[in-house]
Amino acid sequence: MPEFLDYFQFVLAPQMLNGLSLGVAVILMALGLTIIFGLLDVINMAHGEFYAIGAFLALSVGALGFDFWVMLAVVPLMMVPIGWLTEQVLIQRVFHSRERHILTLLLTFGFGMVLEDVLKLVYGPNTQKPPTPIGGGTEILGIFLPNYRLFLIVFGAALILAVWLVVFRSRLGAMVRAAAWDKDMASSLGVPVRLVYSGTFAFGVALAGLSGVLLAPIYSVFPTMGRDFILMAFTVVIVGGMGSIQGAVVAGVLLTQVQAISSLYISPVWSDPLVFGIMVMVLMVRPQGLFGKLGNA
Amino acid sequence: MRDVMLSGRLATRGGGAVRNAVHLLALVFLLLAIAFGVIAWAAGDTFYLRLATEALIFAGLAMSVDILLGYTGLLSLGQALYFGLGAYTSAVVLRDIGPSFWLAMGMTLVLATLAGTLGGFIANRVKGVYFALITFGLAQVVAKVVYNTRELGASDGLIGVPEITIPLGLFTVEAANPAAFFLFVLAFVLLLYAGIAYLMDTPFGRTLTAIRANDRRVPFLGSNPLVYRMLAYVLAANVAALTGALYPMLRGFVSPELMFFHTSGNAVITVIVGGVGTLIGPILGSVLLTALRSVVGTWTEHHLIVIGVLFMLSVILLPKGLIGAIRPWLQHRLTGSETPR
Repeated sequence: MPEFLDYFQFVLAPQMLNGLSLGVAVILMALGLTIIFGLLDVINMAHGEFYAIGAFLALSVGALGFDFWVMLAVVPLMMVPIGWLTEQVLIQRVFHSRERHILTLLLTFGFGMVLEDVLKLVYGPNTQKPPTPIGGGTEILGIFLPNYRLFLIVFGAALILAVWLVVFRSRLGAMVRAAAWDKDMASSLGVPVRLVYSGTFAFGVALAGLSGVLLAPIYSVFPTMGRDFILMAFTVVIVGGMGSIQGAVVAGVLLTQVQAISSLYISPVWSDPLVFGIMVMVLMVRPQGLFGKLGNA
Repeated sequence: MRDVMLSGRLATRGGGAVRNAVHLLALVFLLLAIAFGVIAWAAGDTFYLRLATEALIFAGLAMSVDILLGYTGLLSLGQALYFGLGAYTSAVVLRDIGPSFWLAMGMTLVLATLAGTLGGFIANRVKGVYFALITFGLAQVVAKVVYNTRELGASDGLIGVPEITIPLGLFTVEAANPAAFFLFVLAFVLLLYAGIAYLMDTPFGRTLTAIRANDRRVPFLGSNPLVYRMLAYVLAANVAALTGALYPMLRGFVSPELMFFHTSGNAVITVIVGGVGTLIGPILGSVLLTALRSVVGTWTEHHLIVIGVLFMLSVILLPKGLIGAIRPWLQHRLTGSETPR
C-alpha cells in the first residue's frame, strides 16, 4: 500500500495536476468555439490562429516592458476588435447563405491560413519562449507543483465560472441565449441580435487569445502553434456537444485527464489516437455529444 | 429506371449543354496539356514538366474531394489521409518488395478500399460540419502516428524509391523520363476524370446528387443514403490513393507532409477555386494554383497569404468557382440559348 501512495504522490498526482492545467486552457479554447457555434452556427476554423495571435501579442506586450499581469488584461482587449471585424467583414458575408455551415467553415479556414502566414511575416518562423511569469513551486499534501501551473488551474477555473455566470446568470447572457434559441423572437423582443452576434464572436476570439497568453510560458510560441491545439479543442467540443458550455467543461477535464494518465503507460504518440477513439465512440452512442446545445438548456 | 433517365435527359436540353460545355473544357485542357508536354520536351525541360506532373497528381486528390463535396455534399477536410496512404503504400512496395507499377497500384487499391471502408464507417456516422471535423481529426491522428513511426521513416519520410518502368502492354513508360511520365500521368488523371464523370451520370451519381440536395427524401426514392455515402466515400478514397501512389514514382520519396492538413486543405481550396461539382474544375484549379504558387514563390515565401486571400474571395464572390463563372458563357456559345442554369 505505501508503494501505491508513493506512486500516487510522485507520479500520478503531479501528472493529473499537469493534465488539469492543460485542461483548463483547452476548456477556455473550447468555450470560445462552442459559444460561437451555439449562437451563430459557425465553425471557426481560425480559432487556433486566434490563440496563436494571443500568444504573440503577449510577446509584443512583454517586449515593450510590461509584465505578465498587464498582458493578461490587455491582450484579450486587443483581440476583441480583431474578432469583431472578422465577424462583420467575413462571417456576415455568407451568413444568410443556404450553405452557411460549409461556407463559414471554408472562409475561416482560409482566414486562418492567411493569419498564420501574417504571423510568420511579422514575427518570423522561429520558436520563442517567454519567461515563466511566476517561478518556484509549492508542495500541497506532499505533491509538488510548479506555481505557474497552480495559478493556471485556479485562474482558469475562476474564468470558466465567470463565463458560466455571464451566460446563465446575467441579462446579457439571457440575451445571448435568447438569440441562440430563436433569433426572430429575440429580435422582436428588443434584443439587438446583430450586435449580440458580433459581440459573442469577439468574446470567443478574446477567450482564444487569453488561452494563448496563459499557455505561452508553458509551451513555446511559434506561428503554427494553433494547429496542434485546435484538434484537441474540437474534440472537446464534439464530445461535450456542440454549443454546450457544461459539455465543454466536462469533456475538457475528462479528455485531458485521459491524455495525461494514459501517457504514463503508453507512448504519448498513442494518446492522441486514444482521445480521438473516445470521441468516435461518443459519436457512435450519442452523435449530439454528451450535453445539449446552448439556448436549449 | 432507364426510361426515366432517358426522358429526363430529353426534357432538359440545357443539361446536355452543361455536359457538353464541361467536356469541351476537358478536351481543350487535354490539347493544351499535350501541347505543353511536346514544347517542354522539345526544349529539353525537366523542372516544369515535373511541376506540371505534380499539379496533375494533386488534381486527382482534388477530384476525390469534389466527389464528396460537389456531388454528395460532404466536406472532407482529411482527404490527404488516403492520398498519403497511396503514396506510402506505393513507396514501400516499390522500394522493399519490387519495382512493379501494377503491384504498387494493386496494393494501393486493396489498402485504400479497406481504409476507406473503415474511415467511412466512422465518418459517415455523422453529417455536415461533424463530418468535416471527423475527417479532419482522422487524418490528423493518422498523420501523427506516421510522423512518429520509425518503420515508416518518421518525420523524414521514405527516401530512395527506385525509378520504375511502367509496362503498358504495347509499350513502356520510363518514370525517369519527365515528358513520358507527364503524358502518362495526364492520361491517367483524365481517364480517372472520364470514369468518374461517367459514373456521376449513371443512377449511382444521380443518387449522390439527390443526397446532396436533400438526404432525407432519398429514402422515399427507395435508396438508402448511408449505403451511397459509403460508396462515394470509398470511391473518393481510392481516387485519392491511386493518384497519391504516383507521387513517389515522380519524386522518389514520400514525406508525412503528404498526409498533413496542409495537403487536405489545399485540395479543398483547389476544388472551391476551380469549381465545385464539375470535376474538371478541380483539375484546372490544381494546374492554376500550382502555377500561381510557383510564380508567387519566386518573389516571396509568403504565398499562403496570396492563396488564402484568393480562396476567401473565391468563396465570397465566385461560390461556383472558375468553371461556374465561365460555364454559362460557354453554354450560351454552344447552344445559343439565353438560359444559363
